[in-house]
Amino acid sequence: MNKLIRRSLLRHPVRTLLTIGSLAVALFLLCFLRSLVTTLEAGAAAANQQRLWVQSAVSLFVDLPLSYQGKIDGVDGVKGTCKWQWFGGYYRDQTNFFAQFAVDPEPLFAMWPEVEIAAGSKEAFLADKRACIVGEGLARQFGWKVGEAVPLIGALFQKADGSAWDFQIAAIYRAGRPTVDDRTFFFHWDYFEETMKEAMGETPQVGVFVIELEPGAAAPGVMASVDALFENGPQRVQTTTEAEFQRQFATMFGNVPRLISFIGGGVLLAILLACVNTMLMQAREQLREIGVMKALGFSDGAAALFLLSQSLLLVGTGGALGIGLALLTQRGIAGFLSRFFPGYAVQPLTLAAAIGVTAILGLLAGAVPARLAERTRTVEAMRPH
Amino acid sequence: MGEPMIRLSGVSKSYRRGGETLTVLDHLDLAVPDGAFYALMGPSGSGKTTLLNLVGGLDHADSGEVVVAGTELGALDGRDLSRWRADHVGFVFQQFNLLSVLTALENVELPLLLAPLSRKERRDHASHALELVGLADRMHHRPGQLSGGQEQRVAIARAVATDPKLILADEPTGDLDRRAADQVLDLLGQLHEKFGKTILIVTHDPLAAARAEKTIHLDKGKLDRVETRPPSPGAPSRPPS
Repeated sequence: MNKLIRRSLLRHPVRTLLTIGSLAVALFLLCFLRSLVTTLEAGAAAANQQRLWVQSAVSLFVDLPLSYQGKIDGVDGVKGTCKWQWFGGYYRDQTNFFAQFAVDPEPLFAMWPEVEIAAGSKEAFLADKRACIVGEGLARQFGWKVGEAVPLIGALFQKADGSAWDFQIAAIYRAGRPTVDDRTFFFHWDYFEETMKEAMGETPQVGVFVIELEPGAAAPGVMASVDALFENGPQRVQTTTEAEFQRQFATMFGNVPRLISFIGGGVLLAILLACVNTMLMQAREQLREIGVMKALGFSDGAAALFLLSQSLLLVGTGGALGIGLALLTQRGIAGFLSRFFPGYAVQPLTLAAAIGVTAILGLLAGAVPARLAERTRTVEAMRPH
Repeated sequence: MGEPMIRLSGVSKSYRRGGETLTVLDHLDLAVPDGAFYALMGPSGSGKTTLLNLVGGLDHADSGEVVVAGTELGALDGRDLSRWRADHVGFVFQQFNLLSVLTALENVELPLLLAPLSRKERRDHASHALELVGLADRMHHRPGQLSGGQEQRVAIARAVATDPKLILADEPTGDLDRRAADQVLDLLGQLHEKFGKTILIVTHDPLAAARAEKTIHLDKGKLDRVETRPPSPGAPSRPPS
């Protein structure tokens, strides 16, 4: 019977292979899109509970006065703060774009234990204003070594003479957790501040302040206190937990998870219709043979199962290929998307969902043809055309 | 005298077509003894194929009683009727109706999937049936690679593979040339004479009907007349069982 099911499907090999190909692409996309969502969610879930983020209440694109740091440091429950300023430069060519931040060097290590030094030393970074530390992924991409000079062209912030910003790699860090991006470039706030003062004649502002809570301090209370501190300006702030900050960052350009889910749903609906169409064609072409099988003694249920099995085999093959492809390409995609989706991985739950979706697709695509086979009257099916 | 293999009592069957009721069988009574070879003849629309479908359990009578191999078919539901067909009837069709994606051997094996046999037993039974119809050397060919006569012989092998008591053939020689038709009729004759199968064939071909012991003529859903073939010299009075 298995042979009959298999060969019946391959009666029109091109049609069958095209359907399997479409299914493989659809299931691959489903795994990929779902993995993007779970990666975003994992980033938020893995967020540090001891860190709060202070940004402008207007937008993340609006900077905050430098003077805010001292006031935030004075709030009860705040152990320390760290400045983060998006630099937005590039290395040699505008296509060599990656995340660069001017930060307070010592708090960086104190507050982000997941930034682990892999080569060079923390001390070397702290000792030199022009020193920087870069992630392993970034070092690998550009072939950088510790001690190497790295010039960055400032796209948002330019030096007074228009020349490149000079940095020297003091250390290379590894990401202590998969959700930490290993393609980031950190350098001293002081170097940034001095250079910008020289260029603009005024103190630069800060993108965000990150707060480290005292052990046992209640985050909601601290958040409320910080927000209240700047209630009357000059720039109102919004303080959030790190998880919420990451969620907001991920949805900055719209509700990405919902958009991804819509796309995934649309892909599934399209492929379901294609499969139903293929299976209905299969059923119509096999009506006479189903009549013969019934005449030979196969029951209505067996006839239905015959077509349902074809549907499950067709969709199962396409689904297995798509899921396999998602697993095979996992590492490559993780490397490619590491800047926006650090820690990209196809989770076991995503695989289980894809297998479930494949089974449901197979059942749905086979349901109508199976019902047709079940209800086919032998006498009608075998009537000469 | 024992219970006949086929007994129809007051059987009627009609179809609705285009808002009109068309009576195909009209209070028909008929009996076919166990081990007999009967032919059914009549003009188109006389109810021959409908009668064959009722006897084979492919359709239900509107009224009357259809008893085949001791079973009242009207009392069986769809599932039991399928099971009954698998156990008691072998069908041979005018258009052969082999499954094009299967080889001759696999086609013959198909009804055996419903029997409690191992894979090897199925294969042995199917091979034996193909040897019986003289196609042992064609068992791995697909229907498209066989002549019409060979296809019909494969269909006969499929019909006898489960060793049913009753073989129903609907115009088995209708699509064949004379030589191939004679081969098929010879085979049906052998199944009747050597293996005691009860055979009922629907045919328009007088030469095919001449092979049968009796020819039942239907007209407008009623029994018109019955012709009995004179026994040939040396023929057994009863086929061996």
